[in-house]
Amino acid sequence: MRIDSPQRLQELQKEYVAREKSFAKKVLVCCGPGCLASGAAQIVEEFKKLLKKKRIKKFSVEALKETGCHGLCQQGPLVVIEPKGIFYTKVKPKHVEEIIETSIRKDEVVTDLLYTDPKTGQTIERYADIDFYSRQHRIALRNLGKISQYDIRDYIAQGGYQALAKALTTMTPDEVVDEMTKSGLRGRGGAGFSTGRKWATCLKAKEQPHYVICNGDEGDPGAFMDRAIMEGDPHSVLEGMIICAYAIGSKDGYIYVREEYPLAVQNLQLAIDQANEYGLLGENILGNGFSFNIKVSRGGGAFVCGESSALMKSVAGEVGEPRAKYVRSVLKGLFDKPTVLNNVESLANVPVIISEGGEQFASLGTPKSTGTKAFSLVGKVCNTGLIEVPMGTTLREIIYDIGGGIQNDRPFKAVQTGGPSGGCLPESKINLPVDFDSLTEAGSMMGSGGMIVVDDRTCVVDLAKYFLSFLVEESCGKCTPCREGLYQLHRLAVKISEGEATEADLDKMEKLSEMIIIGSLCGLGKSGPNPFLSTIRYFRDEYLAHIKDKRCPAGVCRALIRYEVITDKCDGCMACISTCAVHAITGKKGEVHVIDQDKCDKCGACYAICTRHAIEVI
Amino acid sequence: MNSRLIVTPNLCTGCRTCELACSFAHPVNGKLGRSRITVLDGGMKDLWVPVVCMQCDDPACVKSCLVDALRLNPETGAVELNQEKCVKCMACVAACPFGCSLFDDQHNMIIKCDLCGGDPVCARFCPSGALTFKPIASAKLKESA
Amino acid sequence: MVHLTINGKVVQATEGEMLLAVIRREGIEIPALCHHEAVEPFGACRLCTVEITKEEWDGWSNFVTSCLYPVEDNLIVSTHSPTVIELRKTLIDLQLARSPNSPEIRQLAEEYGITKTSYEEIPEGDNCILCGLCTRICDQMGFAAISTVGRGHGKKVAPPLDEAPPDCVGCLACALNCPTNVIEFTDEGNIRTIWKKQFELITCTKCGKKTITKDFAKALSESRNIPMSYFEICDECHRKELAQTMGRIVSWSREAVS
Repeated sequence: MRIDSPQRLQELQKEYVAREKSFAKKVLVCCGPGCLASGAAQIVEEFKKLLKKKRIKKFSVEALKETGCHGLCQQGPLVVIEPKGIFYTKVKPKHVEEIIETSIRKDEVVTDLLYTDPKTGQTIERYADIDFYSRQHRIALRNLGKISQYDIRDYIAQGGYQALAKALTTMTPDEVVDEMTKSGLRGRGGAGFSTGRKWATCLKAKEQPHYVICNGDEGDPGAFMDRAIMEGDPHSVLEGMIICAYAIGSKDGYIYVREEYPLAVQNLQLAIDQANEYGLLGENILGNGFSFNIKVSRGGGAFVCGESSALMKSVAGEVGEPRAKYVRSVLKGLFDKPTVLNNVESLANVPVIISEGGEQFASLGTPKSTGTKAFSLVGKVCNTGLIEVPMGTTLREIIYDIGGGIQNDRPFKAVQTGGPSGGCLPESKINLPVDFDSLTEAGSMMGSGGMIVVDDRTCVVDLAKYFLSFLVEESCGKCTPCREGLYQLHRLAVKISEGEATEADLDKMEKLSEMIIIGSLCGLGKSGPNPFLSTIRYFRDEYLAHIKDKRCPAGVCRALIRYEVITDKCDGCMACISTCAVHAITGKKGEVHVIDQDKCDKCGACYAICTRHAIEVI
Repeated sequence: MNSRLIVTPNLCTGCRTCELACSFAHPVNGKLGRSRITVLDGGMKDLWVPVVCMQCDDPACVKSCLVDALRLNPETGAVELNQEKCVKCMACVAACPFGCSLFDDQHNMIIKCDLCGGDPVCARFCPSGALTFKPIASAKLKESA
Repeated sequence: MVHLTINGKVVQATEGEMLLAVIRREGIEIPALCHHEAVEPFGACRLCTVEITKEEWDGWSNFVTSCLYPVEDNLIVSTHSPTVIELRKTLIDLQLARSPNSPEIRQLAEEYGITKTSYEEIPEGDNCILCGLCTRICDQMGFAAISTVGRGHGKKVAPPLDEAPPDCVGCLACALNCPTNVIEFTDEGNIRTIWKKQFELITCTKCGKKTITKDFAKALSESRNIPMSYFEICDECHRKELAQTMGRIVSWSREAVS
């Protein structure tokens, strides 16, 4: 199946486009991380089973595609019927038969499965008409939800590998680098370094060989952009890497995937095998004489291995500890050789930049942060999921116009961006544009794209404590300020959450934070205090409530809260009594229940189960 | 590498001035270091032999050092021990067939003759000429017999 | 040749040198616990951090570990600026929380005016400061018998699976270069014990003095082509032997002349 020339690639594209057109209808089942967790695999099985049994005319099982993340995870599992783009939400295996009979055999719609706009109460048939989708601009995520994640033919039909053909046959490596520089693309992993400059420096590096590495470690809690791309559109990553390899003169590349993403490893390997088969990887790519091989390298389960120098040690089979980067890894990287390390999303953008030109990419976004950015919008918003918007879109637009506002109409408290290296921004900052620089001035950072929205029931002390505990766990332990400093910072945060701290402790934490930032060897340590620093900047009162009043206003910190029965609401239904694991609630049926504060361990199960809203947190 | 330390035991009186001079020339933290040259019994009446590093052409000490702390200094001709690199594993002490890599247990360090950087004090102060530091070309061993 | 300023004084340095070497050459003392010339600089203890700036940086300064930072022309270095001192104090304070019972750390703390840690002491304390010198030196010597295991706060130095390390030869380089003297070993009779492993010490065939372990001697002999016989006699007896040999030559030459 080797494609031995760009002409042959074009012929194949035509062939595969025709194949897509031959499907009168297509059923796209979203198999992104969220939908998979909600049972998408069972839905796929059910479709396959029933389609085989029913044998619908003009519908081949090939028109059933398992796609990558469609985006609106909140409403998953998602099924889309093309060509109309009919959008079915919260699909269960039991709905599959009806979908087949209604939308495949006939041309009708299952109204019960449609999306309901919370503002108007109306159902919307097509996903393209939903704000969540219409306000996005998908480049890195362009194929997610549209193509089969297992089939290279779908990728080629979408124009895949045309950028590679263009680069190999009509551009010199210097010209490719120039195009990347014109695009203004900055590292999507969060550091925001100019991709063009990185490639240019490596191209010039005299020492050989050169390596290309894709950073698929994605360690930020709550972030799954890279996972979605690696699983749902693996060829976009491969194409980006091959173009990079051509530009910097490399013969070997690695994709470092975190240990916790076995599906990504699987799908990437499948894509690599297919690309090899088609002659798009390996020797003499597209008959052009250029050769490049990619291997998948699995991580061992360490957040710190997302740091470039630690990652390269891990790929080399050594312990993943960062080194001080006074000599940059683009000059001395993997095996001490010049290496370009790029993030998954950065690489997914490369084919589009080469196809449409760097200037076109640079026309989106802002002058210093060009293009678009993928975000995992999670937390207390109505529409959680995976989105992509032009840089410069404000937090407000993302949270309210796309995210649909806060669940249950609760008040917005803060948005946490940038993972453990980032910080919290309050309501007063949500008109800030999201890009590499604006959020940093405000004390947070855009980071890799994780965006966690919290409401008034989230305690910022608890949030800071969580991120600090994460970092203490993930610190490599090499340098003192990070290993011991973050540990002590966390211990002090625990003290605050237990009502045992003093105001002097806050001062101590602020000073310690400053020293950790100055003294740490790598980014993990240097940005480690950020969760604390950003929350204390905007929510100092909440910290002081914990310290001075021994009170947790959000009702979260266990040592400072108690659950009480609201006597005039309790009707004695005993639901909480049967749920309480420590038997702290007493009361007969029909009588007002009582919570024994000495026994209560503040787990909140009674609060969660009471349908009468008769339990409150104080 | 023009000069070598020449030992003529025949002329040695056993006065041990060389040991004293060596100690003084290698202080450690203001205190006297152990001497790197040792005057020993030659096995006969009135026969003393100053024993000191031979600055071998194929030094066992250099071979034995796994951290490359021993290195020939081409200007002085001495095989020098870099104290900052030394990890005190005693490999050189054990390997030298002449026992001229020594352990100074007062200062907890390994030492050896470094030809005092090119002007060895033992030769300078030897009253009998048993120790001389001469360019090889002019060293006429037969004359000292 | 590169010219830079250290604490206000202009000094010369060779390109490729690290700042710490130049600083020490100027007689300025700064602590550098994880540093040893036998191994590559590591940057773990962070105590050798200095503040650097350049005129064109418009007042912005950076904090780098001098052990790893190569000299640059026109660099302006401060080894004892207020922020650097504060950083060092914080680092020592943190170290003291980890190792409250270590005499070496306590002494260093005293030099910086700290008698007790202001943080929460680790229960039972741990005198290992994770400088990595033991493992790095062992790697450098080619044995790689021990390593750091674990991550973050639970990191420790240990042999594989916490058992007697198969590659250890008992050279003691790890123990003798530990800044806090944490690695224990005993020499009893002709048996040395370290890392739960026992080694036979070579006994000088002439005087019975114990020298290095047999395993170490064997490793040196094999890898560096030194006859095993060299190791069988101690240094003192080697010197005596040399004196005797020289003596015999002299007396033989005296006889020959007479």
